[in-house]
Amino acid sequence: MTQTQNKTYWKSLAERDGSLDALEADPHQAGPAPFSRRQFLEAAGFTLSLATLSGCGRAPEVTALPFVNQPEGMIPGRSQIYASTCAGCPAACGLLVGVRDGRPLKMEGMPEHPLSRGGLCAIGQALPLSLYDSHRLTQPLADGKAANWEDVDKAIADRLRGIKENGGAIRFVTSTVTSPTLQATIDAFLEGYEDAKHITFDAFSSSAILDAHEKTHGIRVLPHYKLDEANVIVAFGADFLGTWISPVEFTAAWQTRRAPTEKHPEMSYHVQFEGGMSLTGGNADRRYRLSPTEYGNVLSHLAAKLSTRAGKDAPAGSLGESSIDGHDIEELAERLWHARGASVVLCDSQDVSVQVLVNFINHLLGNYGKTVDIERPSRQRQGNDAEVLQLVDELKAGKVAALFVAGTDLTHNLPDREAIAAGIEKAALVVSFAEREDDFAALADFVCPDHHPLESWLDAEPITGLVSLSQPTLQPLGGTRSILESLARWSGKSDSAYDILRANWRAKMLPLVESQPFQAFWDKAVHDGFVSTNTPSATVGEFQTEAVSLLNVESTEDEFLLSLYSKVALTDSRHAHNPWLQELPDPTTKVTWDNYVCVSPSTAEKLSLSDGDLVRVESNEGGAKVELPTLVQPGQHDRVVSIALGYGVRGTDRFTDIGPQWLEGRPTVAPGELVGQNAAGLIATRNGTLQYTAAGVTLTKIGGRRDLATTQRHHTLEVPRNVAPHGAEVRDIIQETTLSEFAKDSHAGTPHAHHHGDTQLWAEDHPKSGHRWGMVVDLNKCTGCSACLIACQSENNVPVVGKDEVFRQREMHWIRLDRYYSGDDDDLQVAHQPMMCQHCDNAPCETVCPALATVHSDEGLNVQAYNRCVGTRYCANNCPYKVRRFNWFKYEHNDPLQNLVLNPDVTVRTRGVMEKCSMCVQRIEEGKIAARQHGESVVDGDIQTACQQSCPAQAIVFGDMNDKTSKVHRAFENPRQYRLLEEFNFRPSVAYLRAVKNREAQHEEGGHHA
Amino acid sequence: MSSGTATLRPPLVTGDKTISDVTNDICAPMARKPTALWWAAFGLSFTALIVGVAAVWYQIATGIGTWGLNKTVGWAFDITNFVFWVGIGHAGTLISAVLFLFRQKWRTAVNRSAEAMTLFAVMCAGIFPLIHMGRPWLAFWMMPYPNTRGPLWVNFKSPLLWDVFAISTYLAISAVFWYVGLLPDLATIRDRSEPGWRKRITSILCLGWNGSARTWLRYETVYLLLAGLATPLVFSVHTIVSMDFATAVIPGWHTTIFPPYFVAGAIFSGLAMVLTLMIIARKVMQLEDYITMTHIDRMCKLMMSMGCIVGLAYGTEFFTAFYSGNGYEQFVFKNRALGPFAWAYWTMVSCNVVIPQLLWSKKLRSTLPVVFVIVILVNVGMWFERFVIIVTSLHRDFLPSSWADYAPTWIEIATFVGSFGLFFTCFLIFCRIAPVIAIAEIKGAAHLKKRPSAESSSKEKAA
Repeated sequence: MTQTQNKTYWKSLAERDGSLDALEADPHQAGPAPFSRRQFLEAAGFTLSLATLSGCGRAPEVTALPFVNQPEGMIPGRSQIYASTCAGCPAACGLLVGVRDGRPLKMEGMPEHPLSRGGLCAIGQALPLSLYDSHRLTQPLADGKAANWEDVDKAIADRLRGIKENGGAIRFVTSTVTSPTLQATIDAFLEGYEDAKHITFDAFSSSAILDAHEKTHGIRVLPHYKLDEANVIVAFGADFLGTWISPVEFTAAWQTRRAPTEKHPEMSYHVQFEGGMSLTGGNADRRYRLSPTEYGNVLSHLAAKLSTRAGKDAPAGSLGESSIDGHDIEELAERLWHARGASVVLCDSQDVSVQVLVNFINHLLGNYGKTVDIERPSRQRQGNDAEVLQLVDELKAGKVAALFVAGTDLTHNLPDREAIAAGIEKAALVVSFAEREDDFAALADFVCPDHHPLESWLDAEPITGLVSLSQPTLQPLGGTRSILESLARWSGKSDSAYDILRANWRAKMLPLVESQPFQAFWDKAVHDGFVSTNTPSATVGEFQTEAVSLLNVESTEDEFLLSLYSKVALTDSRHAHNPWLQELPDPTTKVTWDNYVCVSPSTAEKLSLSDGDLVRVESNEGGAKVELPTLVQPGQHDRVVSIALGYGVRGTDRFTDIGPQWLEGRPTVAPGELVGQNAAGLIATRNGTLQYTAAGVTLTKIGGRRDLATTQRHHTLEVPRNVAPHGAEVRDIIQETTLSEFAKDSHAGTPHAHHHGDTQLWAEDHPKSGHRWGMVVDLNKCTGCSACLIACQSENNVPVVGKDEVFRQREMHWIRLDRYYSGDDDDLQVAHQPMMCQHCDNAPCETVCPALATVHSDEGLNVQAYNRCVGTRYCANNCPYKVRRFNWFKYEHNDPLQNLVLNPDVTVRTRGVMEKCSMCVQRIEEGKIAARQHGESVVDGDIQTACQQSCPAQAIVFGDMNDKTSKVHRAFENPRQYRLLEEFNFRPSVAYLRAVKNREAQHEEGGHHA
Repeated sequence: MSSGTATLRPPLVTGDKTISDVTNDICAPMARKPTALWWAAFGLSFTALIVGVAAVWYQIATGIGTWGLNKTVGWAFDITNFVFWVGIGHAGTLISAVLFLFRQKWRTAVNRSAEAMTLFAVMCAGIFPLIHMGRPWLAFWMMPYPNTRGPLWVNFKSPLLWDVFAISTYLAISAVFWYVGLLPDLATIRDRSEPGWRKRITSILCLGWNGSARTWLRYETVYLLLAGLATPLVFSVHTIVSMDFATAVIPGWHTTIFPPYFVAGAIFSGLAMVLTLMIIARKVMQLEDYITMTHIDRMCKLMMSMGCIVGLAYGTEFFTAFYSGNGYEQFVFKNRALGPFAWAYWTMVSCNVVIPQLLWSKKLRSTLPVVFVIVILVNVGMWFERFVIIVTSLHRDFLPSSWADYAPTWIEIATFVGSFGLFFTCFLIFCRIAPVIAIAEIKGAAHLKKRPSAESSSKEKAA
């Protein structure tokens, strides 16, 4: 220390040399110069203003770290697309997952997929929201308490060992498993136990179809229906465009026959018989109201008439009464007979004898092997109700030692819940794989939460010979574990899901494809998302005519018949936690956030019921009941009441606080209540199947009301009679024609326009010489399925507002699916019209905004500058299409996990500003930038709006109207093209293609002049 | 004025007043302590104001969602109240400016309070466009001020922007006109006041008024010019307000009859409000000798004639719709009369067209309680007129899918009540601090006895 003190350190030559001048000249050396008062004030003022400014900052500082190892091909801020399979339901549509910065954001349909053909339904679109759900389990539960996997595994293994030693029944219940690997893993897991059985239980079962094929063809399969090859489609109840088996696939196939052109004015003929009012019924060319109990009678008549035509004896049995006019059945039989081999009869009845009749008719018509394929059958519904009912008996008798349930909520979806729950108590080991603590999981000893489908490896085989892969798109958010891994652990293996999947594919899939190295095969499968395999066709037996008999069901006039159905948004109770789907207006009823009892208008009048009146629906046998609000549903059969399943799901009381909270705001669900009521208690069990239609219910008005939050209050284009001006009773918003009229004149259905001036008040001094974006929606293809609505919500960060706000008519969806009824209840017709911003060239909204917050782009878009908007709402008032949406409140984004679902390309709008469809301007810009980077011009089809991309019916065409080769340009020249309120000269950039119905010309020629 | 006319026309001031009586009578309420009745009225008004302030505060803190509006009906109570209050203001300007130019001397008894009413009504009106914005803190974006946002400016095509100019001009002119008219009276108060705060303030406010001939000359010139300037505003302001609707494309709004229709309606409602206030004021402040039954009678006649014009406009609208052959247009009017808001429509028709017909009877015109009930009903009817125009046109427009209902929330009702609170609070304070009748003007117009009095003659001259 002393030594160092003696040493002299110098920092510059000047210091060493001791030159004072140099010292002063060196700025680093100079001490602080004495402050003058002025300088002090300057500095103080500067500091103060800096301090003030720094206090003005809004956002907390967030650190962005670069990747240590940049993943291959990943560019921050850019989407990467991964091929996968949708796990929203067993239909297993092709999925493209848009992943940005490691988070999956946008689900899109896979255009190459042979079944879904680029479409994706609302449920598929809503997957990301359920992924970023903070209510999902993040770790296993043991007796309802958080546990760790080691302990759970050990406990389960111990109990399983006990069962193995002492014997005891193991029952493994799943919903339809389309995954060959999961099936193999379950089979392997159950191997080695004496009494182990895998039971498939579908919440909405099609068991009777499979059972019927076992009777008629000796093979228990679900046919693969090929609607694109069907000229005549006759459906009994089957809501194949909305909820039945594989709606996206069916819609994609159905629409191929629904676009008549000038050259080929042809389209399929679609008849629907149904008791309730389904999406499919609304799209049929002819819809008959028919009570589900009478399906058998009408089918028998049809079978008898077709037998005569085929020169065969009618099946045994007698013909009963049919409420359908004999002439109509005759005509239908004639049409079917003409379309032999190119027709199909579908039925959703859970009555095996009815399904046998359906098979007989399809057999007579030679549809097997053509439109109905059972050699390479569908695997999308495999539920076996007989086994389920047997399990229920076993449970009640306490004969089950271990119960495993995956992919379904066993107790929620079955009737007689209490007895089953009591039976479950008796089992030694009860394990659930649920993502959340659902009704069954709450009873289970262990909950071993499976990954979200977007987090895990899996595969699917929806149709025999078409195998697709699901790949994880992010690290699991919580401590969940793939069911494949869980089962492997309990079988004493430690393989990862990826290993299990690959091993199974190497063993089972590789031999089914042309020989190639496994890795190449695997890589291609992961890249493409699916492979076609040479799976050998199933051996089908001869048609067993003796199994068929005509049905004669006596209908009881004085009782109501209950029809349980599922809604488009909630085909499965597991989706009940998804607020996008809860707030999706039902395509037919337009109701959100509830289930209800649909009754026909005349029944409602008889019982003096109106929308929202609470009624009790009680089964005459068993006494199960639910109390729900009424919905008066046009087109509903007078004796049929319909209730949607999938509601009243445990945990949906979480939505109490969803939406804005304010003085007069009402909660979406009353505290302690659930969204809707579970009607599964009313499911009947008869002849070994779960019956969703049950005769003998009573309907009682119980007083009290629960208002239904509907997004549409007026349901027809007919203005109320008391205020209808003469000659303008019906508005020509929807233009329609019939096929025969269309064949004569491709412009048929055009209203008698009085004014077609193209005169402009102002000089047309804003040429749109570059791009000019436009959209055409084919009303003949659009089924109203509302997939576009969720696609838009997901793409454009549209907030969920809750039931009360919907009730106040303030839903925020940028696309509205307008639905209009016409005709009488016996022949109700439904028109759907997607309504989004029309991007008018003469936009009424633009002139009235005082702040210039909404202006026209030079590419023809009506753009909204959120930053500039002060919220006068004048634009919304002046919008003739009422497509503008106002941020009435600050819609909270308080859940940090859920916020991950937000698309960073789209601003989250603040309170007090107007918003509306932007035609996905962010996608347009992205497409233009990509084209510019490649030095090319934008290719038609490269830019797709979110709604267009996912439309299962491919009803939406978007593109550059200035590009003469573009699809949208051609669509604008389609003779069916019309624009809404054209006579006002708003010049919308969105056009519609007139709907064509394949039926006789109506009395009312579509187009009352307004 | 010749004495001949005086025999034909009833006197403007009754009760055999002298010039000094006039000054004393009118200034008396300011010197007295407020009466219990005043306190009661003030307490009620102020409570309403507080309720309104609380409602507006809550609305601004929470969002426009606290109103009953929806995706289809984007305006309802807010713009209804705005047009209602702007309309109220018009009678004040009409009475003070137009009648001044027409040398209608009877106006002198009511012009001061009518002008004050205009001012307060325009203040109430101005609040609504401000608070109806989604983001009222950005209201200054309505102003075409120089900024750094490049080409982003205000939209001169938008009628809402015209409103901004129309209303701000109107408020400014009305305030100046009212203030200039007050100058001689302020000097009177100054001269009558004991030394103290009242004297100090009025000394400043009267701008050094000295009662000289030159002062009077300049005053008269300015007053005449301002009257000339304010007169076109009577027509322009409500014309522009009507264009908020007339330039829109919504059936029921998009109609060329709106400017004259709105102006007539505005004067109609304004007269009703002046009468309401006058009938109360003459009673409460014992001014029966100044605001005589003659005044009431004349204003009733004027109001009734305006009511007839408004009735004609209602009929013309229906005829236009019928004659247009436009189904949307026809529907809107049928829907007004027979649809879900028919009750509002028929309230409007009965209050504005049917009931004022009672005023044909001189007997009823001179029965104060009847007149009072009628003017209140006209006020109600004119509020409903704007409600009918706004809500019934919006709630069912082109696409039936978007048809909606509308019902106000409590917040909206409280805001409306609050605007009345503001109006009456201001008016009651005005009654306490300024002469409710233009002392100088009424002295010039009425034939008053001059009782020479040595000590007060100089003072009166100054006044």
